[in-house]
Amino acid sequence: MRALKERLFEFLFPTESDAWLSTLRVGLGFQITLYSLSLRNDWNYLFGRVDSGLINRDLAEALLSIESRFAPRLGWLATLGAHVGLREETVLSILWICLLAAGCGLIAGIFSRTSAILAWFLHLCAAKSGEFVSYGLDNFMTIGLFYLMLSPLPDRYALDWQLRKSQPEASPLLGFWRRVLQLHLCVIYFFSGLTKCLGSGWWDGSNVWRALIRPPFNVIDPEMLVGWKYLFPVAGVFICLLEIGYPFFIWSDKTRKIWLICICAMHAGIGFMMGMYLFALIMIILNVAAFGSGLVRLQRESTSLRPQEVVP
Amino acid sequence: MHQKYVCAAWFSLHFLLIISFSLRDTLWLVAHGPTIFPSSFRSYSQKAEGVVSAILCERLAASNPVRQVLATYLHIAGIETGYGYFAPNVPGSYKLVFELHYPDGRIEYELPRVNSTAAGLRVAGLLDKIGRTPYDALRELLVKMLAQSIWRQHPEVKTIRAVFGSTRLPSLSEFERGKRESYEFLYAYDFSLREKPAEPEIVK
Repeated sequence: MRALKERLFEFLFPTESDAWLSTLRVGLGFQITLYSLSLRNDWNYLFGRVDSGLINRDLAEALLSIESRFAPRLGWLATLGAHVGLREETVLSILWICLLAAGCGLIAGIFSRTSAILAWFLHLCAAKSGEFVSYGLDNFMTIGLFYLMLSPLPDRYALDWQLRKSQPEASPLLGFWRRVLQLHLCVIYFFSGLTKCLGSGWWDGSNVWRALIRPPFNVIDPEMLVGWKYLFPVAGVFICLLEIGYPFFIWSDKTRKIWLICICAMHAGIGFMMGMYLFALIMIILNVAAFGSGLVRLQRESTSLRPQEVVP
Repeated sequence: MHQKYVCAAWFSLHFLLIISFSLRDTLWLVAHGPTIFPSSFRSYSQKAEGVVSAILCERLAASNPVRQVLATYLHIAGIETGYGYFAPNVPGSYKLVFELHYPDGRIEYELPRVNSTAAGLRVAGLLDKIGRTPYDALRELLVKMLAQSIWRQHPEVKTIRAVFGSTRLPSLSEFERGKRESYEFLYAYDFSLREKPAEPEIVK
């Protein structure tokens, strides 16, 4: 029992460099920045209220309150702004600027922890108040930002670290948070693959066809897609196996690299062929942070060792 | 060491929730959607989903503090949903068209419009949510809000008819035979202006 506990703790708390955290921080910084910029012309329209918005934010917030009265929302910040005499539109614009600033802060690593908390909180407020216009992308951004803000920031590549007078020792929790992210991705892909396997359309490729011609994901002309029809069943089965096999093949040193490349290629393909660029980006960032940074480091180490081997 | 025990306890609870929600959503899909399993599996799945939902405190009253705290944690961690995207099958999409009736008898057609592709994906998601909601009142309210946003852009309009439909996607073989996507009428709502543009009234 004791040996089992020790093995479990070894697995949960491995000794880890902070390269993965740098990848996650910079990656999510870019994600938040691009997310903000992509919505700059629609921000007030998507998250506004009855006089200015597409869907009255109050409705989403009222439904959210039934589930949870304490989940963050834009309404809190708008009320706070109203107390100091700020108009709804002004508050929303300030929040957009703060979110963009938090994204830039994460990229540079300035006030890393504060930037991470601010990015998580503001994005969560937008995702919850705009529940009707939210989709999977927002879930994955929340997951990534939640783990980032809890991780031991700053990492050594952050400006915060460079500006510190004394360099603290690496936190023992670095490995733990990476494990959490790794295992979460395994659960995500396993269930995503499992539920796809339940539908006959993924086995015969018809779901790949439907996904590519379904508005608004119909980026490629269907006439052109018809020419690739023999690839659809292969692609359908490949996606199912890739996802459901993720938790089994991503851990082994022999298969990790190929699995990671395939998963990232799948997301890049979804991004380009279905116009879901931000969705593709967040998935690639989470994957590379969780399983990629070790691969790059291992390669670099083996490269640096090579000259030493030939020296007698 | 104490810190590690706390982390391990949090980890166990966190992943118990993630796996339970994913499992619940998978069971829901088997219970409600056409899957490769025989239809006899549906009732078992429904029962199992009920058990998992009960474990997740979803059978408690909405105001119950335990449920509230749990729901809050799920929302802030981003783990309140499962991961069955485009599963088990890719659904069709929905379309909303507004018929704008002007006082001079002119009729124009308008779609919900945003300024960027990123926001366009969100609007498409909104239409999917409107189409899939089992609550008629909520559907009507959401369509009414979208009509209000159109009204703000066209304040001179007298009445608006909102036509909501689903898109039927052709299969690959149907497409090769010349069939293209078609629309199936689902709902129509008529809105007329009573006093101010911001509050149109449903007349039918």
